[in-house]
Amino acid sequence: MQAVRKTFGSVVALNEVNLHINRNEIHGLLGGNGAGKTTLMNVLYGLYKPDSGQIRLDGQPVEIHSPRDAIRQGIGMVHQHFLQVDTYTVLENIVLGTAIKNRPTMQLAEAEQRVKALSDQFGLTVKPQAMLETLPMGARQRVEILKALYRGIKILILDEPTTNLTPQEVDSLFESLRVMVSQGMSVVFITHKLGEVMSACDRITVLREGQSVLTLDRAAASPESLVQAMVGDELDVADSLLFSTSKTVSDPPDRTQPPILAMDAVTVLGDNRQPLLEACSLAVYPNEIVGIAGVAGNGQRELAESILGLQAPSAGRISIAGTDVAQTPTVKLLEKLVSYIPEDRLQDGFLPSASVGQNLILGRHRQEPYSKNGFLNWPVINRAARRLIGEYKIRTLGPDDTGANLSGGNIQRVMIARAFSFPAQLVVAHNPTQGLDIPSIEFVFSKLLAHKAAGGATLLISENLEELLLLCDRIATLYRGRIAGILTRDEFDKYEIGRLMSGARIDS
Amino acid sequence: MALELTPDAPSGAATRFKQIADQLLPYLIAVVVAFIVIGLVIGLMGFDVLTAYRTILFTSFKSKNGFVQTLLKFVPLLLQALAFTVPLAAGKFNIGGEGQMLMGAIGAAIVGIIFADLPLLILLPLVLLASVLFGALWGAIPAWLLYQFNMNEILTTVLLNFISFSLVDYVAVELFRDPAAGHPTTVPIGAGGELPLLISSPPLHSGLILAILVAAAVYIYTNKTSAGYELVVTGANPRAAGVFGIPVRRLFFASLVIGGMLAGLSGGIEVAGSHHRLIEGMQSNYLLLGIIIGLIAKGNNLAVPFVAFFIAILEVGASAMQRTLLIPGEMVFIVEALILLFVLLSDVFKKR
Repeated sequence: MQAVRKTFGSVVALNEVNLHINRNEIHGLLGGNGAGKTTLMNVLYGLYKPDSGQIRLDGQPVEIHSPRDAIRQGIGMVHQHFLQVDTYTVLENIVLGTAIKNRPTMQLAEAEQRVKALSDQFGLTVKPQAMLETLPMGARQRVEILKALYRGIKILILDEPTTNLTPQEVDSLFESLRVMVSQGMSVVFITHKLGEVMSACDRITVLREGQSVLTLDRAAASPESLVQAMVGDELDVADSLLFSTSKTVSDPPDRTQPPILAMDAVTVLGDNRQPLLEACSLAVYPNEIVGIAGVAGNGQRELAESILGLQAPSAGRISIAGTDVAQTPTVKLLEKLVSYIPEDRLQDGFLPSASVGQNLILGRHRQEPYSKNGFLNWPVINRAARRLIGEYKIRTLGPDDTGANLSGGNIQRVMIARAFSFPAQLVVAHNPTQGLDIPSIEFVFSKLLAHKAAGGATLLISENLEELLLLCDRIATLYRGRIAGILTRDEFDKYEIGRLMSGARIDS
Repeated sequence: MALELTPDAPSGAATRFKQIADQLLPYLIAVVVAFIVIGLVIGLMGFDVLTAYRTILFTSFKSKNGFVQTLLKFVPLLLQALAFTVPLAAGKFNIGGEGQMLMGAIGAAIVGIIFADLPLLILLPLVLLASVLFGALWGAIPAWLLYQFNMNEILTTVLLNFISFSLVDYVAVELFRDPAAGHPTTVPIGAGGELPLLISSPPLHSGLILAILVAAAVYIYTNKTSAGYELVVTGANPRAAGVFGIPVRRLFFASLVIGGMLAGLSGGIEVAGSHHRLIEGMQSNYLLLGIIIGLIAKGNNLAVPFVAFFIAILEVGASAMQRTLLIPGEMVFIVEALILLFVLLSDVFKKR
């Protein structure tokens, strides 16, 4: 790909980007959020039409106007969010949209043979007759890859493929990719995770702000050089928490003190009386960060919302600094005891039609100094909002600006600013760094560690295992609403947590 | 959309002025375009366009009478618009303003007739209080149906309008019928229930001051208090409001009841100020105009009084145009609808 340029309105998403992918290689495409990784690959896959630039395949210029064109040219893509039919079998999902022989009778024996052959060849184990909705994330991803391989592609694009996979699943994915490139294919691997790039890729291209910053062989790359390329001059990598090679020096909490958060055998039932959270017992002590690991949808949201008193447990007891959550309205909890960074910022935390200032005081709107005798003190609020906008680098016109004008990363900063704008005993942070660029992630980490240093308790619920390993004193793993195990810092082992994440059942 | 502005952009008086000007521009364009469109229609119908324009826009300012008429229209329009915008702030649509207004008028008339002998200082507050309570009741029914059974408030508020029509008939025909009137009308309320006049000729009652005070209170409530903030947050994102501890469903309830109170008061003021009795059909088309005002103001309670005054000018101009030029007054309704349409369109264009 040469000098590819793509703009959306006045935003330049890609600015003269060059990318060369060789045969037989896994090419890592690395960059922070909004660097243009996915946009670039969507251009290659025919989803976006570039404003200018050229794509050449084996030296020949090609025109790709649609994914259909891309597949015909041998380019396949696996998106971050799979496009699958849950109520079809694996085989049906794979052949969907291809020229099916025996269309009226759907006799797919021949296709099944081919899928089996592909699956053996690349080590992508799936059961062709299994119903898709019964499969875990890792298997669904293998289906998605087989879908591409079935169409005879030569270049496979994977967009953030390791999100929501256990470490075991990640390893087996990398093995399969290795087989593919050894047989003459090329793989483009989009990620923002440095470790994966270093362990899996042959060559690496770093994108930053829509530009290709550099391309390196893995042998020539060091984590420091890649990080510096990703973030530019904004961050002093040598002092960075995020990329510290030695583990963060952690001041171990004193667990003889009474815990700040105490959960005792808490069960939360869903609409159909199924337990979403089952007999969870957990304590978070002062000066401690406890992580919650687990594949999304295993009870994380119910855990957070029961602590805030938003979902009433059917059994068990939760208390924060001695205050019984069941007896206390959420507004009171938010006043002094808890700060909350919700998982889904758009659904659960943001007011698009309200001003930035109004957004920043949500949950504190009945508290001094923002409010007195039931009246809001707008001069104080605006001053506080301006300070937060500056401190948290929220890109906006000011406190009066409409929330809808903010980008996703800036909305997340509003969530963070709001949570840390008042002292609280307990911080419940659910995926606090999603959608943030590296300096901002760094900033969130430092805020969490400062809260810990000040003697506060933190419950950090995250799908990012690296983040948990870096920051937490203990990590509890949720599997199907149960706490599958709690490890202390000296016992941390990525693979052990991975086993717990998959219910101690090892997917082959 | 990327904002390439520094976080602490200057917010001096000049920028402030520019912001307001930017906001007003679409309105100005909308009004001008609406008038051009309607001018074409009036011209094609064979009327004198310029005279029509003059009549619509300047009747209110040409005579003392015209101005008083405008103020008298302004009062119910303002309260009806607020009865729509307060629930709107919480994300609820109150389409029952006219039913609530009629209930308020019924309440005012019943109290004013039964206790006709009481002195002003006692009867007038009772009359107005009755109108507010009756309106609140008519808002509380859909509010309760929403709270308890999740019934859509648009449906229930509209349907309650029809019930109120029958209740007006019952009160004006069966209970307190004025035999001298050819139209369903009650006997007048006691003199103590009448709003004092600010000017006696042409008569302008003090409901005007009351309405302006209420509008100021509503603005302070929605924009300056923590309770009003919770209302706005609920409307902006009910789920987020709930996550941060705001009792969302209770606020839905409260917003519809407040809407009912405001609309009920508009009925009470019409009875105590203008008609001194309950008359069938007195709701006019205030409901629709109130909704139009609320939507043109985009729910901004500071803008509502100004928009309401502008619409009152158009309404008075419309009647004058119909009387003197024989151009159908409905033309002005088309103007109002077009203004709303263009204002909404300008939002769509701004987003592109």
